[in-house]
Amino acid sequence: MSERFVANKPYLSVCAGIALMLVNGLTACSSFSPAAPVVEPSPVTGIVKHVFMIVLENKSFSTTFGSTSPVPYLTQTLASQGAQLTGYYGTGHVSLDNYVSMISGQAGTPQTISDCQTYADFTATSTTPAANGQVLGSGCVYPSSVLTLADQMKAANLTWKGYMGDMGNDPARESATCGHPTLNTADHTQVAEAPSTAVPLGDMYATRHNPFMYFHSIIDSTDCGSHVVNMEKNLASDLKSVSTTANLTFITPNLCDDGHDSPCANGAAGGYPSMNAFLTKWIPIILASPAYQADGLLIINFDESNYVTTVGPGGVTITFPGTFCCGETLGPNLAPYPQTQSAGGYSLVYGNYGGDQTGAILLSPFIKPGTVSTVPYNHYSMLKTVENIFNLPLLGNAQATGLAPLGTDVFTNAP
Amino acid sequence: MQSIKPFLAVLAVAVLCSGVSSGAGHAAAGAHRPVADTAALPGLSERAVVGREIFFDARLSSSGKLSCASCHSAANAYGPPNALAVQLGGRALHTAGLRAVPSLRYTLARTPIWAHPRPTSLAERIAEKDDVPAGGFAWDGRFDTLHEQAAFPLLAASEMAASKELVVQRIEQGPYAGRFREAFGKDSFASTDQAFAFALLALERFELEDPSFHPYSSKYDRYLDGKATLTEQEQRGRALFNDGDRGNCASCHLSAPGADGSHPLFTDFQFEAIGVPRNRSIPANRDGKFYDMGLCGPVRTNQRDPSYCGMFKTPTLRNVATRQAFFHNGKFHTLREALRFYVERDTNPGEWYPHGQDQDAVTFDDLPAALRSNVDKITLPFSGSKNKRPVWNEGEIDDVIAFLRTLSDDDQVSKH
Repeated sequence: MSERFVANKPYLSVCAGIALMLVNGLTACSSFSPAAPVVEPSPVTGIVKHVFMIVLENKSFSTTFGSTSPVPYLTQTLASQGAQLTGYYGTGHVSLDNYVSMISGQAGTPQTISDCQTYADFTATSTTPAANGQVLGSGCVYPSSVLTLADQMKAANLTWKGYMGDMGNDPARESATCGHPTLNTADHTQVAEAPSTAVPLGDMYATRHNPFMYFHSIIDSTDCGSHVVNMEKNLASDLKSVSTTANLTFITPNLCDDGHDSPCANGAAGGYPSMNAFLTKWIPIILASPAYQADGLLIINFDESNYVTTVGPGGVTITFPGTFCCGETLGPNLAPYPQTQSAGGYSLVYGNYGGDQTGAILLSPFIKPGTVSTVPYNHYSMLKTVENIFNLPLLGNAQATGLAPLGTDVFTNAP
Repeated sequence: MQSIKPFLAVLAVAVLCSGVSSGAGHAAAGAHRPVADTAALPGLSERAVVGREIFFDARLSSSGKLSCASCHSAANAYGPPNALAVQLGGRALHTAGLRAVPSLRYTLARTPIWAHPRPTSLAERIAEKDDVPAGGFAWDGRFDTLHEQAAFPLLAASEMAASKELVVQRIEQGPYAGRFREAFGKDSFASTDQAFAFALLALERFELEDPSFHPYSSKYDRYLDGKATLTEQEQRGRALFNDGDRGNCASCHLSAPGADGSHPLFTDFQFEAIGVPRNRSIPANRDGKFYDMGLCGPVRTNQRDPSYCGMFKTPTLRNVATRQAFFHNGKFHTLREALRFYVERDTNPGEWYPHGQDQDAVTFDDLPAALRSNVDKITLPFSGSKNKRPVWNEGEIDDVIAFLRTLSDDDQVSKH
């Protein structure tokens, strides 16, 4: 927790500790705990013991999974081996709010929906959370009272690890473990760094794609450095045995490999071609790992969908429809939609607060090859599913009434 | 399209070894062999030792009087030894260069290759300004490596004006030919092209390895290490420099230590169009139709995107207080002028630009009229409008100068 937050809200630090106890089912801090002691079974609860998540960037379902898919390894090769979730949605625009929602169930803030150009501390405006444990305020880095899936795993004596592409390639830019900007300063990882003599591989790590860095419960912990590590230097070796493979493995490729940039700082094409190349290299390594083969679930999703560009008499308009599913509601820290802004001669229109349709691919020994589910799901559904698998309480919007976790429509080979 | 990105950039000067120029004498005077310290060469590879010889060897120019060190003076933080906007070179040392000479200290190993990574999402490019070209050597970033770059001043007509054959012949016949063979093989002179390429590699190794290119001996370095205290004025200047709501200098000239505690280089290597006034003292600018537009050419020939026109790479500000020529075209000759330009460019354009027929200032006159919209008019300290108050007053400029002087290495402080 930051000094500023502690100074302003000293009682929250007490509640934070109690909230951690809540995860263990010991007690509750009903006035501030964003987690509710809700546990629901999944078709693979206690069966799946290793979850792998890979998050890709900014692509629409219609393009990714279209008849001429530009990422055939994902949409043809892998889809035929597992489940295709055609109704999978992001929870907002742009990147960071989606990543945050995936691990905490917290909806966006005015800063996270703009990718937190400044790595600013979260300033709470109330000690009482809104519905579904939504903390009220603005900023980027949530106080330690706000828990994440990672905190839950740790409290339940389960292991977790975040593998971040390129993190620490330039040690002057960010640390190779638990890498993030100094609090309340500009985030210089917003733009990828090209190779130089001192940094031969360049550095295309982006803090805003590493959700763990937006929670004091993680960045202030003494073991953050052993949990959030460089992907290229650690993932393959950690996958070699079950004992070194975490129960939750969260993978964020660098800004080129995840399809975010095109062209990339290192000269690669980026976009779908680099995404396809990354998946072609790394998915076989994951699928061959003893942990996956024994009891694994691999989730490959996208943070958000893309936009529509129209040219009219008034100029170029870029529209994110903001379509949502699954009963998602407007986060309490956001202004009503539609929202518009003008920049660089363009009009940007955010029609609604959803993240639009992206689709997702899941693979597991407990999914029959070629499974297709058209049931609507989003990041909160996925969070709820993972929490169910590990028998954890539900965080944030994962506890929303009526939110459906992934069920037998997806886990078609569950025992 | 307006230039995107927080940009306050481009104090200081251009091309490795860019000739000598107008005004009082030129860099070649007394610069035949201004070798710094020829004694110990601790930690240098054999190739770097050869590169050091080449760097200071004026015999390699067609005039026989100009070396790399003539313009990149070792005694001047590997920057120009004089106040000339551009330097003179060529066979008779009468040919003016186009751009001011940059310092070679600090940035070389960390200069990224030129790149313009872009989000695939147009919306992110627009909304988050995540769309900035950066890197490469020279003001226009056209060289990705130091050895590529090193060929230019050796061969350029306005600089050393040599040929590959001349360079190789004089190395082979010179006092360090034996060392050259030891570094690159006994047959290293068998082919002119290959020997010339070896010479370029040697220069690269010298520039990367020699500690004189990165001494980190400034007061600010000591301050960061807890071994010095900034005066009250220096502290005020530092605060003004870093204040994102006013000077905003640190948004491009990064001033904070790195995540690993490494000391800052005071550049982000990104490109900016800040609209420095045309320098009519540069001979090439006598042609009213000629414009040096940096990233989009004409010197650089492989990036013709009109939105790049007017953009030059942000230089380091280390040792900036010892310079006598500022910005890519050396338009200004004092640090105070350069700082005043930043804060008064938009509030009092008539002071910086010529007046047109309607008596209004012709702003951004070093770009064709159709491309002047590329210049940043958004990011502080640029206000984009007349009659506002500059973000700094004269006293505050004094404070910033005091801070910038703390960036001078120990061997440069006497030049303040």
